[in-house]
Amino acid sequence: MGAVLSQAFPWSGLLLLLVLVRLTKGVAFADAYALVSRPFWPGPSQQEWLRSSQRLAADLRFSQLAQDNARLRGLLDLGQVHSGAIQAAVISREVDGWWQQILLNKGTLAGLRVGDVVEGPGGLVGLVGQVSLSTATVTLLTDPASRIGVWVARTRQHGLLSGVGTSRPVLRFLDKDPQVRPGDVVLTSPASTLVPPNLPVGVVQSIDQRANPAPEAIVQLSAPVDAIDWVEVLVRRSP
Amino acid sequence: MSSLARQPLCLASIFLVPLLTLAAPAWLGIAGVSPSWGVLWLLPWALVEGPVSGAIAGLMLGLLLDGLHPGPVSEIPALLFLGWWWGRFGRRFPPLERSFSLGLLAMVGSALLGITLLLQFVLLQPDTFIQALRGSQLSVPPRGWTPSVLGMAGLHILGAQILITGLLAPILCSLQLLFWRRQRVLQR
Repeated sequence: MGAVLSQAFPWSGLLLLLVLVRLTKGVAFADAYALVSRPFWPGPSQQEWLRSSQRLAADLRFSQLAQDNARLRGLLDLGQVHSGAIQAAVISREVDGWWQQILLNKGTLAGLRVGDVVEGPGGLVGLVGQVSLSTATVTLLTDPASRIGVWVARTRQHGLLSGVGTSRPVLRFLDKDPQVRPGDVVLTSPASTLVPPNLPVGVVQSIDQRANPAPEAIVQLSAPVDAIDWVEVLVRRSP
Repeated sequence: MSSLARQPLCLASIFLVPLLTLAAPAWLGIAGVSPSWGVLWLLPWALVEGPVSGAIAGLMLGLLLDGLHPGPVSEIPALLFLGWWWGRFGRRFPPLERSFSLGLLAMVGSALLGITLLLQFVLLQPDTFIQALRGSQLSVPPRGWTPSVLGMAGLHILGAQILITGLLAPILCSLQLLFWRRQRVLQR
């Protein structure tokens, strides 16, 4: 009997160990594997690859959404589709005079047309008002002749942004109770036929709730027109 | 046409005006507003050359400057009148040499130019202006030079431009007067 027990002990011990492994779902093995394989874990470079592939996926998705948006806007006949952007330098600026405008070093030879949208670092700057062969005059958002459709994305309230000759244009809401507060971001309206949708324009600085017939807000523009040297002109093509 | 106009280099200096307007050096402005370069060039020219040449120069200058800005508003009426008026001034009175007189004439000229621009901004959109003035319940907010815009920006630009033009005139116009009077004497 003693001899049988002494022969069975190692095997019974192994059996007990395997039962333990089974009962613990192999956590010990997993931990041991983790310990052993630690030097071969994905390092920072592999994390970067992952991030890069995520960025690529996001870019592709954004591009696809932009194409879809352009196609749908074309179907709805909501203005013209922008085919590309042209970089242009600001060669003259008149931001506080009788006319608020800047002069760009690109004109019809580069494909610019009257009404093209001009974007600077930070957001929308204005629309091309006049073009020559090699220059374009941009009417700024601050010019009293400028008026574009915008909305406050947080509350989805639409309004018209009108230049008043100062550095801060006025946003006149169409609704009597826009529920807008200082700090809200103003974007170009998706319903606008003049400008592409959702370009950043500025931030609501103050609101006059007593204005007649609807409240008005003073908007601080996000693109510093008096400081920027380069802008991007969104060139249009017919849908 | 008088003698200065026959000198191509003197007449060509008129092209400096649109170039300076475009360059708009920020250090030569008050509150971001540049001086009226047209007034600063036209004043000495008209004083030396007389009313006819002054008016023609005003017309040429207006045509040049109007090309720089979109829209129908024009600087021609004011510059044409100023050229003629300053020309008469130069012919009827002893030659102007005092800085104060030059500064004052430039300020009056700048004021007149600014006021004619303001009037045109208003008169070219009379419906908008009148509706905004009455405070009617417009479904679409008015665009352009409404009374509030005139009050906020118009008076600010007008005041700043009059001031900086009047300050620069004694320096720049005196130099131009000296140079052009000398050229005129040499021509004779």
